[in-house]
Amino acid sequence: MSQLQDAKAIQVGNIEYAYGSTKAVRGISFSVDRGEIFGFLGPNGAGKSTTIKMLTGQLIPRSGTISILGMAVHGHSAEVHQRIGVCFEEKNLYLQMSAEENLRFFASLFGIRRPDIRGLLERVNLASRSRDRVSTYSKGMRQRLMMARALINDPDVLFLDEPTDGLDPVSARAIRTIIREKAQEGTAVVLTTHDMYEADELSDRVAFITEGRFHAIDTPENLKLQHGSRSVVVRRRVPGSEVEELRLELDTDTFSQKLAEATSSGTVMTIHSEEATLEDIFVEVTGRGLE
Amino acid sequence: MRFILAILKKDLIEFSREKIYMVLSVVGLVLFAVVFWLIPDTVQEQTTVGIYPGENPLLILALDEAGNEDGLEIVRFAERDDLRRVIAGDLEVWTGEHGRTILRDRSAGERPPENARRVSPVIGIAFPDAPVSSEQPHAQIYVNSNTPREIRSAMESMIREIALAFAGAPLPVAEPAEDEIILGTDRLGRQISMRERMRPMLVYFVLMMETFALASLIAAEISQRTVLAVIATPAKLSHLLAAKAIHGIGLASLQAIILLAATVSFTADNWFVLVLASLLGAGMFTGIAMLVGSAGRDFIENLFFTVALVIPLAIPAFSVLMPGVGAAWVRYVPSYGIMNILTEVTSSGSGLSDLTIPLLTSLAWVTVIFGLGLVVLTKKVRSL
Repeated sequence: MSQLQDAKAIQVGNIEYAYGSTKAVRGISFSVDRGEIFGFLGPNGAGKSTTIKMLTGQLIPRSGTISILGMAVHGHSAEVHQRIGVCFEEKNLYLQMSAEENLRFFASLFGIRRPDIRGLLERVNLASRSRDRVSTYSKGMRQRLMMARALINDPDVLFLDEPTDGLDPVSARAIRTIIREKAQEGTAVVLTTHDMYEADELSDRVAFITEGRFHAIDTPENLKLQHGSRSVVVRRRVPGSEVEELRLELDTDTFSQKLAEATSSGTVMTIHSEEATLEDIFVEVTGRGLE
Repeated sequence: MRFILAILKKDLIEFSREKIYMVLSVVGLVLFAVVFWLIPDTVQEQTTVGIYPGENPLLILALDEAGNEDGLEIVRFAERDDLRRVIAGDLEVWTGEHGRTILRDRSAGERPPENARRVSPVIGIAFPDAPVSSEQPHAQIYVNSNTPREIRSAMESMIREIALAFAGAPLPVAEPAEDEIILGTDRLGRQISMRERMRPMLVYFVLMMETFALASLIAAEISQRTVLAVIATPAKLSHLLAAKAIHGIGLASLQAIILLAATVSFTADNWFVLVLASLLGAGMFTGIAMLVGSAGRDFIENLFFTVALVIPLAIPAFSVLMPGVGAAWVRYVPSYGIMNILTEVTSSGSGLSDLTIPLLTSLAWVTVIFGLGLVVLTKKVRSL
């Protein structure tokens, strides 16, 4: 039992999957710790969803191993499913049922006798509409209900597929807050997203995936340090000329000298630092964009 | 089991929320029961023939003899033209006391005669006014345009028989004994009425409606991908499929049983076979619903696939309505056995031992269709 408790939340070893002759996932390995938010970044068709389906037991890998909380997914699917929560990209809710009925149904599948439906709905700010049919909900409300459903069993591992896609800023912020709270409570979170800002803001580590392969796995900061350049931009007005902008590379031996020169003449209007975004790093590492 | 019960409960909530299915189910049941009781339960077992015998005493004697036979009613006319006008539909003919023929000209405003019964000759035969020894007498046949061809042919044979009797000659062949003619159960006097024939078809319609409702639920579960959310919990796909099967078979067979009860079909002897047939029918249509639900993506597609699959299966139900028109291949339609069982039990009083073969055949078909539905639906879910 203690071995299971000490085990990584997710341990993936060299998994592969193919749809017919098309290889979707080509031997990827990674692990996720408890309380860690792991971002999965890649364009459409990169293999993110296939990987998530294998992790959640919906697909069986052609080769490789997957263990969740120390249990092999395909040997202990019921036990694994009991301890994971999944928030799908599609808003796959029962539209003719209310939020309360949806949650109660899924709670019954997890064998939860007295689920805290009210508490969950309050957490996602849907308590006032709990008895309305989901068909009357906006996209943001449905997404928040999806998140509540993923949390119904208080999971140890949470899989979130594009959890804020298309949401208004307020709803997106609410979802991100919940994700952070769950991670702080010790839940491992696997997040797939197109949104680099979100990945950067939330993820403890990110993995870049294209064509079924990982190109990099690290913390956003390390990736930026390794692959991106940082600079300081000085905007100044020199007498007799237009406003000019000077870009000074950080992390170089001559930086201090160049900065002194840039600020010694003319009127400095603004100085700010710039660093590569995660998207810049993704393009640099994978050689392609996210679209 | 808790997974199946939970999914079943959810399915019933969803089913109850879809007004169209509820309306179809409730209104359909009431409507079919009403239709059943509105359809006449009487069967016209007699063929009525109008005859103008002229003034031939031997012929009149022969007619009297023929008129006593089962299934043939002879109305004697005093005037050739009256017979022609009755067959043409210009006059009504009624029979009063002692078989007296009464004519009524409705267009002239004449009232229906009292203590008389209206009869409708399908064919008229007018013999020559008086026997003429030197010439071959000519009989005139009047046929209404609606008279079926087989009645016309039968009447020609009857004229030949009457002519032989008229000439005092015996028939060239001996008539067979009745028990040699009737093969199987003799239903003379208790023919199956149109109402009785309708029963299997109405049961078929009930099963068909439930097929559509279940197929729509399954299609919604797939198109909205809620099935993926269910199998991401400790519940498995097999639990979901079992719940759908119980839902489909339970609702469809329950409604079929309610309809059979509303049409007073159950007796102490036949209830078990009827319930068995309803369950088999529900199983077959649940399999079809799984096929349709896997293929259809929306209401229109579900409707299309449902119709495409259930119309061929409806052929046996319709062939019960119109006996004699069904081709031999109808026996190989999967629903034939179930329709046959319903007809035999409710109309002929057949029991379990009489229906072993159709029951086993139906069970085999249900196994094939239901199994196919399960396989296709499983593959569909796995492909999501």
